[in-house]
Amino acid sequence: MSRAAAIGRRRGFSHALGELLRAFNTNVTSWIGLGIFLTIVLLAILAPVLAPYDPLEQNIVARLKGPSEQFWFGTDVYGRDILSRLLYGARVSLIIGTTATLIAMVVGSAIGILSGYVGGRVDLAIMQLMDVLMSFPTLIMGLMIVAVLGASMGNLIFAIALTAIAPFARIARAPTIAIKQRDYIEACRALGYSDLRIMAVHILPNVMAEIMVMGSLWLATSIRVEASLSFIGLGLKPPTPSWGGMVREGFEVILDNAWLSIFPSLAILLIIFALNMLGDGLRDAVDPKLRGGE
Amino acid sequence: MATAFKVEPAEPVLSVQGLTTSFRVSGDWHAAVRDVSFDLAHNETLALVGESGCGKSMTALSIMGLVPKPAGRITAGRIMFEGSDLVSLDREAMRRIRGNRISMIFQEPMTSLNPVLTVGFQVAEALRYHRAMGGAEADRAALDLLEQVKIPSAARRFKDYPHQFSGGMRQRVMIAIALACRPQVLLADEPTTALDVTIQAEVLALLAELKQAYGMSMVFITHNLGVVAAIADRVAVMYAGEIVEVAAVRELFRRPRHPYTELLLRSIPRVDRHVSHLETIEGQVPSIAAMPAGCRFAPRCPLREARCDAPPPLAGAAHHVVRCWVRSEGGGHG
Ligand SMILES: Nc1ncnc2c1ncn2[C@@H]1O[C@H](COP(=O)(O)OP(=O)(O)OP(=O)(O)O)[C@@H](O)[C@H]1O
Ligand SMILES: [Mg+2]
Repeated sequence: MSRAAAIGRRRGFSHALGELLRAFNTNVTSWIGLGIFLTIVLLAILAPVLAPYDPLEQNIVARLKGPSEQFWFGTDVYGRDILSRLLYGARVSLIIGTTATLIAMVVGSAIGILSGYVGGRVDLAIMQLMDVLMSFPTLIMGLMIVAVLGASMGNLIFAIALTAIAPFARIARAPTIAIKQRDYIEACRALGYSDLRIMAVHILPNVMAEIMVMGSLWLATSIRVEASLSFIGLGLKPPTPSWGGMVREGFEVILDNAWLSIFPSLAILLIIFALNMLGDGLRDAVDPKLRGGE
Repeated sequence: MATAFKVEPAEPVLSVQGLTTSFRVSGDWHAAVRDVSFDLAHNETLALVGESGCGKSMTALSIMGLVPKPAGRITAGRIMFEGSDLVSLDREAMRRIRGNRISMIFQEPMTSLNPVLTVGFQVAEALRYHRAMGGAEADRAALDLLEQVKIPSAARRFKDYPHQFSGGMRQRVMIAIALACRPQVLLADEPTTALDVTIQAEVLALLAELKQAYGMSMVFITHNLGVVAAIADRVAVMYAGEIVEVAAVRELFRRPRHPYTELLLRSIPRVDRHVSHLETIEGQVPSIAAMPAGCRFAPRCPLREARCDAPPPLAGAAHHVVRCWVRSEGGGHG
């Protein structure tokens, strides 16, 4: 083996993920969850190809048609194809949910690691702020922000991310406090490494697994909150299809035309179910001690 | 020309002068290291020996600027290195010295490496950080270092994780990291204590070899006088935060003068002695908050006299100093 080939880049993240995946491998429910989730992602990406109709195109003649060969999942009050709207609606849910979760993950983990690493009064103050943030139920917080700032995609993402920052901060802080006492962190100090480097290169990879678990669980929550906000009319403006909005629209005619609400409800249920299966599996994989925790 | 390669004998690489490091214990500051002074010559190995809690690690951490804050701080003294006083250096300047000009290795090889980073990465990191080397260059240099510390098939093991290495191998990796930037001074805090005897001997031999090859100086901390005999040029014996005796290693082993040193020497386990004859020193090191006013060793000392109620100075000829009223006069003992 040549020396050059022997030396490759392999960082802490890939190790943390590798460990996670190894443990994950043996977990069937995680794989089912991941499979369902990835299928939905794929359907959303391929929506322009797969959707049989334009999701916005109204068709007065075909209003409120039940599921048929022509319209698999039926049509809504404006005669729009529900299957096509579901496929496009998945994009809205996924974009808002994923972006909000990623922002919360990055910001929350950074706050948590910093807080735990610095310790003392700074830690106390930051954690109290996080407690205040946490004391607002996610939906209420989202409601307040969207009500004040308006229901744009950016504001929805901001509202959901804001409520998710505190839990990520907490999940990153706890192991940081334990890890900063370890001998290898003392060794880093003896090597003159800056605090920033110690946090980013030596602590972060050690808490990555926990953050990933939290990420998958919060993705489910984010999608649920987005759907809930849309359902109470604080989501993206019509006619943009979103799952929560579709449930709301169908709600008005639910007694006669139940499929309008049922199909988007099932879609929401399915993705949340899948992400929870994934998250629970990951959690078991990361640490048996965490099982049944929280 | 003839003088071009002559080493200035008077210029120490590191000079610790009157170092006092204190800790706050229930509201009051107490010295854990008191008035410690020593010079470290070029390429010299100074052993710092003494029982647990006598301030060996704190002395090394003081030199590194790593005294745990806010409980502890350096309250007096100077640490002269490369023309500056490390005690008064700012954080940034101190960081550029640590791991670069002065390195430290610790007792616990099993836990001193980050478990989620590859061994190769951790060696290369020091070079990227202090030497601003690029990734490929640092990796090549790191592999060289791993070969120098005799990691078998280092190239193949470059991307292995610490848990795939034995304790001895991990300590070699720690040494490679500490020496990556070719420091002037290596502070080794009981680097072999956690290893079994054969591995211990190998690591000691490696340290001695690298010290020679790199032309560095070393402060070697241990409570094992057997190890001292194997590696040190000079020995400073510490007791309760103070240096109580300093001498060249052969001189100290042949003519120990401080009663504490004598007891330490007698407590070395030896093959030609039965374990039942192994002597242990009666009593304990006093806690830093309850130091005797006079000689700190007096409460445990077999030679104790009335004058020991006053603190003895470190006295004697330059090549052999001792902090003892009874033994500092009249030269050796009979
Ligand atoms: N955080 C602290 N707070 C108060 N006192 C401390 C603290 N750390 C160390 N000390 C004191 O400093 C003294 C010297 O400790 P040090 O770690 O230097 O001993 P040592 O000689 O290295 O012992 P060992 O052989 O066990 O490593 C101890 O007796 C202890 O009382
Ligand atoms: Mg120690």
